[in-house]
Amino acid sequence: MTGDGDRGPAVSAEGLGRRYGDGEAAIDALVDVTITFPRGQFAAVMGPSGSGKSTLLHCLAGLDRPTAGSVVLDGTPLTGLSDRDLTMLRRTSVGFIFQFFNLLPMLSARENVALPLRIAGTRDGDDRIDAMLADVGLSDRARHRPAELSGGQQQRVAIARALVARPTVIFADEPTGNLDSASGHEILEMLRRAVDEGGRTVVMVTHDPAAASVADRVVLLSDGHVVLDRAGMDADEVFDAVRGLDRT
Amino acid sequence: MIRLILAGLRQRRLRASLTAIAILLGVAMVTGTLVLTSQITRAFDEIFTAANSGVDVRVTPRTDFESMQWVIPTLPESLVSHVEGVEGVEKAVAEVAALGSPVIDGEYAQSTGAPSFVFSASPEPFRSTDLTEGRYPVGSGEVAVNEALATSKGLAIGDHLGVATRLGVMPVTLTGIITFANVTSIGGATIVVAPIGDVQRWFGLEGRANTIAVQAAPGVTPAALARTLSAELPGSVDVLTGEQDAAVQAAQVDQAINTFLRPALLAFGVIALFVGAFIIFNTFSITVAQRLRELGLLRTIGASRRQVMASVVGEALVIGLVAGAVGIAGGYGFAALLVWVFNALLPGGIPVAAAEFSFDIALTAMLVGVVVSVVAAVIPALRASRVPPVAALREGAEIPRGRLARFAPLVSGVVAILGVALIALALTGDAGATRRLLTMALGALLVFVAIAGLSRYAVPGLARILGWPLERLPGVSGSLARQNATRNPSRTAATAAALMIGIGLVAFVAVFAQGLKESVTGAMDRSLRGDLIVAGRHFQPIPAGSTTAVRSTPGVAEVAAVLADQVRVDGGERGMIYGVEPDEASRALALEWVSGSQASLAGLGPGDAVVEEEFARGAGLTMGDTFTATSATTHTARFRVVGLYRDQILFNGGFMASDTGIARVVSARDPIFMLATLDPGADPGRVKDAVTGALAAYPAAEVRTNAEYRDEISSRVDSILYLLYALLMMSVVISLVGIVNTLVLSITERTREIGMLRAIGVTRSQLRRMVRYESTITSGIGGIVGIVLGVLLAWVFSLGLQDEGIVFRIPWLQLAIFLVVAVLAGILAAVLPARRAARLNPLDALHYE
Repeated sequence: MTGDGDRGPAVSAEGLGRRYGDGEAAIDALVDVTITFPRGQFAAVMGPSGSGKSTLLHCLAGLDRPTAGSVVLDGTPLTGLSDRDLTMLRRTSVGFIFQFFNLLPMLSARENVALPLRIAGTRDGDDRIDAMLADVGLSDRARHRPAELSGGQQQRVAIARALVARPTVIFADEPTGNLDSASGHEILEMLRRAVDEGGRTVVMVTHDPAAASVADRVVLLSDGHVVLDRAGMDADEVFDAVRGLDRT
Repeated sequence: MIRLILAGLRQRRLRASLTAIAILLGVAMVTGTLVLTSQITRAFDEIFTAANSGVDVRVTPRTDFESMQWVIPTLPESLVSHVEGVEGVEKAVAEVAALGSPVIDGEYAQSTGAPSFVFSASPEPFRSTDLTEGRYPVGSGEVAVNEALATSKGLAIGDHLGVATRLGVMPVTLTGIITFANVTSIGGATIVVAPIGDVQRWFGLEGRANTIAVQAAPGVTPAALARTLSAELPGSVDVLTGEQDAAVQAAQVDQAINTFLRPALLAFGVIALFVGAFIIFNTFSITVAQRLRELGLLRTIGASRRQVMASVVGEALVIGLVAGAVGIAGGYGFAALLVWVFNALLPGGIPVAAAEFSFDIALTAMLVGVVVSVVAAVIPALRASRVPPVAALREGAEIPRGRLARFAPLVSGVVAILGVALIALALTGDAGATRRLLTMALGALLVFVAIAGLSRYAVPGLARILGWPLERLPGVSGSLARQNATRNPSRTAATAAALMIGIGLVAFVAVFAQGLKESVTGAMDRSLRGDLIVAGRHFQPIPAGSTTAVRSTPGVAEVAAVLADQVRVDGGERGMIYGVEPDEASRALALEWVSGSQASLAGLGPGDAVVEEEFARGAGLTMGDTFTATSATTHTARFRVVGLYRDQILFNGGFMASDTGIARVVSARDPIFMLATLDPGADPGRVKDAVTGALAAYPAAEVRTNAEYRDEISSRVDSILYLLYALLMMSVVISLVGIVNTLVLSITERTREIGMLRAIGVTRSQLRRMVRYESTITSGIGGIVGIVLGVLLAWVFSLGLQDEGIVFRIPWLQLAIFLVVAVLAGILAAVLPARRAARLNPLDALHYE
């Protein structure tokens, strides 16, 4: 094990397809998507509603089972894995951030952060949990319940929760979608730092061009196809690309 | 609106059916009680009608009251010729009835506590039995027996068998098989029919009869003949028409059933309904909270508060109707189950007629189902009506609290105090027994309601205790379960409360029964000095002749026999009269003396009595007083109080006289038990066997050592205890349905959380475990609070019943078992909800709203 390159990409998909329903009413959410996300990259997945971006995220994370093609997550092919194996893989390799935070209301901020470690049966890791809370600037809110935190603070707890188990990939589904722009900006900064300083890989679904511009790479989906995959776009370029898509 | 309600119920089918089941079981218990008691009363109606078939007029000895002893009052047989001489009488015969079991192949046939009758054979038209085979007994030594007995023992015409009588086991020959009355079962009772001369001789009733059956001459109405006869006959007899006699006897049984069996069984039905009401209340509370958006939407599109409330109440109404309808069928099933349980657990089955569909009972069932479920849904419905229209538009809207909500803890406190006060009042007051019991029950009910309301404050603490071991287990399930259980303490408390009631009552009866057992065995240890106890099976008296048999057994030094009957004291209160041979009794019995001493017992003259202190106080008697004792057949004798003793268990509720003293007032000849003292150094086991051998002629008598007799008493208390457990188990089952319901609803509510947990690495089995642990914590809370409450209630009761000699003892092992049962119940209740939670697709769950 000499470097990241030897371990292969963080997550990749080959000929990925996802069809819902069958017969006449069948809908193809993803069609023949082949894509690779190298380690240490911040990628934004964009596209209009129904373009398949969330489906792609779910298939890559092993939450949804593709109807065609294959996914390799952190070196493990997902095809044929049992529910239990998938769950175990999620524990070690995947972190999630959701639009609606999805914190457990009865747990404190600190307990929410600790959750992935506890689920995996780890009793220690206290230092790491405290460090995570400090990283997201919530050391003084550790004992607060989600209901006592602002939306931005809740999402910061969610980021700390996603990072605490040091997963390979963080999947973020519209992480700024439910936040004001200042809070959203903070969140993006934190994800950026997780990639730059922590060496994590982030795959983020968003429809906000400004959010996408923080990413290293923008993947644009339309009707289940990848229609654009480019690195280093600024907000205006992204905006134009998305608008162009809407027009067709 | 109706369509909306029905559509809603269809959509939440599982919840609706579980809720209906919660109330249905209670409805079934109430219905079943009504069905069963009507079966029993109809059976007795038929029995008494059959007994009087062909009897136009019946002459019986006049009695002041029904003595509880098996001493059937008699009149002189010579009265028959007197009756026959009266104008309008076609025919009159003496009839004799006694208690005596058949003995088949040397085995005592009476296996249950149901009575074993020996009837004299009457000629036509007075025969109350139908012959199915053979002929009626004519000559001495011939008998007919009832068909059920013949079938179960494989008896055939011409077989030889025995009948246990006062003279010993009499050898007889079977000449006929009969059926008695048109009832499905006479509850294990046996019937032997023999010629009157035999029956009189066997039971020492020569020249006596229990009743005289009279047939009127053609053209004379029974009523007219009854009038003539009562004018002609002495005042010591009652004259009734056959119909009146049947009605009077049936009324006595009806009264016994209406004042004891029916209320007792109904009480368990009411408890079940009460538990069901809790579940309905809880379920509706949760669903209203979950349907905020939907209810808000109804308001935005113009529904009034009243309409929103009606939609919730309407749902309860439909559930109540369904539960009522199904509960009717369930009730007939429950009645059949009760018959089976009674026959299995109680000494002696019960006679029952075939079940009949009754419109009244069906209507009652429907009403009970509807009223209980609607009443339980009123508060949640009120809450629903307070949902503001804006709830439809906003995430996380809340129902504004009612103006009175903040007083809830105060109200619960007041209710608790009121409940305790009622119990105290019932225990110390001197109202009638039924009134006191009702007051107690109401008090206990209020205490349960109050504790259910207050226990939400105890939920976090108890959950921490119960969750402690679970949180120590590997994985996160334990701590999540604990936190889930405490996030809505009111909900957990209400769910646990349903189980608390069942477990609480189970604990209460367990503690109470333990106290009762120890009271009885303690009293026996203190008072009885003998080494062996000879008593009749199923509490019947033992033939006097057996005393001699026991006394002459080698190894037996002395025998003290105790006679008993009931008398009225000074024309007022009824009490027990015990008769003993003074010299023997003073050595065999050790009474706790308040005034006097063992010497007072030893020196008891024919006109002397030693009186139980509590009874003396009630009758206003003190040392040196004289009083009149009047028997059921109005014989009287005067007694002087020469001693006062305290005994609330064995020789309670009356007084003790010498054997010659008791003979002055009642005709009891057969002891209720005997105490045998052994020769010094004799081996109790060997002497016991010898006594058993000596009693071969009197198979109704059983010999036990003191320890064996104590065990027998315990096992009798236990068999009643098991019956109570079985009835209370219904409430526990209902509360399980409540736990299932709450869990299912909570899981629906937390669908998104479950999706997130699955996404971040919780396995299906961890999720199942989480649900199971939460269920266990909830049921554990119900168990602990219930047991504590049950023990406290039993303690209060025992304080109140101290005067009756009831002690307070905690059966620790049983209570521990109940807690285990509660926890196991929780695990069981979690099966379905856990499976549902684990089956949720994380993806769908994440997108669930």
